[in-house]
Amino acid sequence: MLGNYLKMALKVLARRKFFTFISLFGISLTLLVLLVATAMLDQIFAPQAPESRGDRTLGIYTASLRGEDSVYNGFAGYGLLDRAVRGLPQELPGVENISLFTTARAAISYVGGQKIESSLKRTDGAYWQILDFSFLEGGPFTAEDDAAARFVAVINETTRGRFFGDEPAVGRTIEVDGQRFRVVGVVRDVPILRVVAYSEIWVPVSTAKSRAYLKEYQGNFMALLLAHSRADFPQIKAAVDRRLDLAEAHIPDRRMFQTIDAGADTLFEAVSRTLFEARESRPELLWALLLGLAVLFMILPSINLVNLNLSRILDRASEIGVRKAFGASSHTLVGQFVVENVVLTLLGGALGLGLAAAVLAGLNESGVIPYADLRLNFRVFFEGLALALFFGLFSGVYPAWKMSRLHPVQALRGRTV
Amino acid sequence: MIRHLLKLVWNRKRANALILVEIFFTFLVVFAVGTLGLFLWDNARRPLGFDWQDVWAVRVNMQAGSDDTFTAEQVETAARLVREVETLAPVEAVTGAMMEPFAFGQYTSGRTVNGRRVSMSVNEVTASFAEVMRFDVVRGRWFQPADAALAWRPVVIDEDLAREAWGEEDPIGRRLGDPDPKSPEPERRVIGVVRDFRHHGELSGPDNFVFYHKRLGHPQDRPPRVLLVRVRPGTPVAFEEELTRRLQAVAHEWSFEIAPLAQTRESAFRLRLTPLLVGGIVAFFLLLMVALGLLGVLWQNLLQRTREIGLRRAIGASRAEVHRQIILEQLLLTTLGVLLGTIVVIQLPVLDVFGSVLRPQVFGSGLLSASVAMYLLATVCALYPSTLAGRVQPAEALRYE
Repeated sequence: MLGNYLKMALKVLARRKFFTFISLFGISLTLLVLLVATAMLDQIFAPQAPESRGDRTLGIYTASLRGEDSVYNGFAGYGLLDRAVRGLPQELPGVENISLFTTARAAISYVGGQKIESSLKRTDGAYWQILDFSFLEGGPFTAEDDAAARFVAVINETTRGRFFGDEPAVGRTIEVDGQRFRVVGVVRDVPILRVVAYSEIWVPVSTAKSRAYLKEYQGNFMALLLAHSRADFPQIKAAVDRRLDLAEAHIPDRRMFQTIDAGADTLFEAVSRTLFEARESRPELLWALLLGLAVLFMILPSINLVNLNLSRILDRASEIGVRKAFGASSHTLVGQFVVENVVLTLLGGALGLGLAAAVLAGLNESGVIPYADLRLNFRVFFEGLALALFFGLFSGVYPAWKMSRLHPVQALRGRTV
Repeated sequence: MIRHLLKLVWNRKRANALILVEIFFTFLVVFAVGTLGLFLWDNARRPLGFDWQDVWAVRVNMQAGSDDTFTAEQVETAARLVREVETLAPVEAVTGAMMEPFAFGQYTSGRTVNGRRVSMSVNEVTASFAEVMRFDVVRGRWFQPADAALAWRPVVIDEDLAREAWGEEDPIGRRLGDPDPKSPEPERRVIGVVRDFRHHGELSGPDNFVFYHKRLGHPQDRPPRVLLVRVRPGTPVAFEEELTRRLQAVAHEWSFEIAPLAQTRESAFRLRLTPLLVGGIVAFFLLLMVALGLLGVLWQNLLQRTREIGLRRAIGASRAEVHRQIILEQLLLTTLGVLLGTIVVIQLPVLDVFGSVLRPQVFGSGLLSASVAMYLLATVCALYPSTLAGRVQPAEALRYE
């Protein structure tokens, strides 16, 4: 029976090639856009290597300093973060490790008269324990290297190519922003969308040109806190909030700024905090925004699908009439239309998945987004498919069902509902 | 004729309602993307007001804890930096400023002029700024070092600000900002007017702009956050290395970041155009999807109306008349959808949302182009089905029933 339906469905789809094409086009294209968009979001937020422990990591990513008529929104300084997290692993059993590091900034090198621009990040030793880089050569620098202010560097694969061709780099020297570093490790390239892990060159924090950063509240630092499990999050957040309250008394410029708005957030919470300039992180707002955008985007394709399906069914009134006249029950007819729509949607889904895979591979290859490593999100794929199925059934089967209840004679005469 | 067509459309209201909804939403999408594109294009064709080529920005980080406190020593070091850079051979001119053009972030200030609130972007620059950025003063004069001795603070404004604050009157010598006992500020007087200065780059909207005079080496003026250096054309990038070394030698503790304005400009372009590009591509495919869908639905509808059309042909309607009827019906439906969309969209300027983007001219042309696009889409979609309808033979109609 089902096999019969399937055969019939494919026959019908093949007979009306133009309509099949439009439906498939709509479904696959909508899925394509959804999948590419979520692949980007995943690249930013999902726990992918080197942030494989991202699901149990909190961070202080940005900070706001507020005064009566001044506001600073930006990255925090080392001094502020130091007060917020130093010693937390000893104080709270839930904290496994902490790390302070800068954002990736442009750094210039000159090799044989050629200018090389790289992203440079200054990190401490713990950074390499919290994150999970895959080393092609050598290894990370350590907390001792940082404490002793040794001029050592970890570089990524592409930077190795730029400086040394394809030869091994460990032990050789690079000059960046007028400072000379000995390369101790080479890691695989990290996607630029990963705020915490991304850079091209990593060097110890203590190699900074001046020690002034140690006291700064405004700067370009971030902090990471690795928890034992997500269950420790509330406790850690509370502890950081308490410490930040205490830190307010030490703001270097008390006349301008009196309060600090910051906190230990997941990356998603942090983005919603900056996006909505909220004093507390409001992840639900960001969710609402993303969902709203997705719904807005899907309205048109849905209406289009419903529209097409309706006119397709109306056109087949006489077919329904004939089948009814020969004794088909409403159930049988509905079953047939269900199978037809499911087949159509699945075909569109497969097509969309293929297209998305191709587009993502193209994006990864092209280098439009440096070091992109975009991957398909199958959960979103199935959700999108389910939605397409819903609209397909709603618009294709419901009218068919109503029509199947018409008197065969009327249906045969081509009367529509 | 129209009334008759309206009746025809109304008779098939259920099928038409969905088409109407589809046209309505498509109109909104086209309007959104089109208006944004028009806004940027309209901005891009206006003159920039300065010359960015061969200008390098040296961002100066004094590595001090706070941004607004500074010491006399830092002021002195900054002045020495400028003098040092001036002596280098590839440098034509150098100036100190609070902000560099094209960079992200801005400093705006609100002031009451003649009892009216006027907002403006501010940059504080030293006297050589006009020479480095190569622009002319159209009225009055630019700053000169001797201005440091004036009892009041001189400012130079751009034409946008002059127009908004004083209309057609001559702004030279006027006071910028009525005296306000609550926040005592030094008296600022306009000494010159420059052409529209588009600090945020070609793609940004018009903006009131005012230059304050930064006195280099003056203990009350903050050292510049950025030095703008005009280098001789063809200066190799390798000079950046030399420049950094010389700066570092004057101020060991500070750090410097050199970026040619061309580079900052490019990344500003990318930042603004990428969302539009992505939105445009998605909108294009949505449009294609809708176009194909509309074509399919119209085609299908016509197949159902074979009888009706055949009858019209049988009683003497010509092929062209049928053809016209179908297209007009579609255009009527489009008009309804566009009207509905316009009613929604017009709420934006009424409620003053996105006021800076939706200036009257952009809004008007955005509305017009979205409407034209919708009519075009509808006509193209109706063309083939209506041709088919014209071909219906009267006999076919009679064959039914």
